[in-house]
Amino acid sequence: MRSSSLIAWTVWKALFLREAVARLSAGRAAWLWLLLEPVVHLVFIIVLFGFVLQRVVSGIDYSLFIATGILGFILARNTATRSKEAINANDTLFTYRQVFPVDTVLVRAALEGLLFLISALCLVTGLGLLGYEVFPHDFLRVLLAFAALWMAGIGLGLTFSVASQLIPESGKVSGMLFGPLYFLSGIMYPPSTIPPAYQSWFLLNPFVHGIETVRTGFFPQYHTIPGVSMGYLLAFAMVTICLGLALHVRFATRLVTK
Amino acid sequence: MIIVDDVYKRYRSDHGMGKWVLQGVSFTIPPKLNVGLVGRNGAGKSTLLRLIGGIDTPTRGLVERRCRVSWPMGFGGGLAASLTGRQNAKFVCRIHGHEEDLQDRLRYIEDFAELGESFDEPIKTYSSGMKSRLQFGLSLAFDFDVYISDEVTATGDAAFKDKAAAAFQALSDRAGLIMVSHGEGTLKEFCKAGIWLHEGRAYWFDSINDALTEYKKNLRR
Repeated sequence: MRSSSLIAWTVWKALFLREAVARLSAGRAAWLWLLLEPVVHLVFIIVLFGFVLQRVVSGIDYSLFIATGILGFILARNTATRSKEAINANDTLFTYRQVFPVDTVLVRAALEGLLFLISALCLVTGLGLLGYEVFPHDFLRVLLAFAALWMAGIGLGLTFSVASQLIPESGKVSGMLFGPLYFLSGIMYPPSTIPPAYQSWFLLNPFVHGIETVRTGFFPQYHTIPGVSMGYLLAFAMVTICLGLALHVRFATRLVTK
Repeated sequence: MIIVDDVYKRYRSDHGMGKWVLQGVSFTIPPKLNVGLVGRNGAGKSTLLRLIGGIDTPTRGLVERRCRVSWPMGFGGGLAASLTGRQNAKFVCRIHGHEEDLQDRLRYIEDFAELGESFDEPIKTYSSGMKSRLQFGLSLAFDFDVYISDEVTATGDAAFKDKAAAAFQALSDRAGLIMVSHGEGTLKEFCKAGIWLHEGRAYWFDSINDALTEYKKNLRR
């Protein structure tokens, strides 16, 4: 007899390989598109805001300012949306008793994190070769902020994955969420340009805290707005992860039975 | 041994709880016995197999598996359409803890399923017969005490049915089979005992022939 933890571990390993193969072999040169997505996004924003609208952030290279914002946001968004769909995409696998819906969600989040790491490293290396100063002055701070954004994505993915199965409409709402959040996360503009009266509202968005922390870790001379705290983002991540896991435990059989 | 004790099952529908599919089903399947499940369409045969297979839980009552039971094979379940037969087989080997002897198991599955080059093609290009071949090969690659088959033989050709029957003959001293089929010949070929599902209840027959007789008598009425 195998122990429960060993079974869970082998299931995770098998699911991870399976997801990775499916992801990287979907269509021609799928891996290339994974790398190109953030690059194309970045180039578009830099051209639009940097060259056309002539936006600048004092003392900081605007391209890197955008790059940090987009990378932070993409990590959280992709983790959340990809893992949210894990249950639907894998529902034939629940034929095997040892595979639970929560396994598929967690494995997707892990794969998304790894793919992000690879594409971010490629992007940073590319920018470095182009002559940008890509070494963060506080590497650990940047790493921690990215980790927290990833965890917030996992928490949202876990919660929404159950919610969208129980109430299909909630899946649509959570899908729409990331559109406005893209503009409300301070990706293309520094939050200090927001009028102080609205900053407390702006800071309700947990992603802002992660993205701003990435930037303060990256640029020594960057000034963020007061109230930005890693604690808020980490607390948000912890609460959503616990909520999501609790929902997965509570509705374990409902998710498998259609 | 599999014990099904006073099992009730109903599903949640869009309009609240649905009607009872199973109402107080009880029986005990002794080890190494091949059992056929008969009943009309919608009598709850697949539901019962899912409960026995442990991928669903009864609304009330208890299902106890005192042995290793396979997953219910049938209708393309458990196969990812975009991945190849080999990739699916690897996945199933891995989740059953056969990372070390993966190649041996894969060779067995490949030999049993006789899919030729299609083994390395995506499942979505498979016919239903090819899927059953793969599913049968997959579950036979592991040492279960009871194998569960939901109509999986129905789509296979004659040669494959003979092969599957021979495989189960070879296993009969150490493993049992629970199968749903609408093919009378298939049931008689594979099974000794029978369970007839009728109006939410299960009736046990020591001989599959008696179960079929009772089932057919009731159809005519």
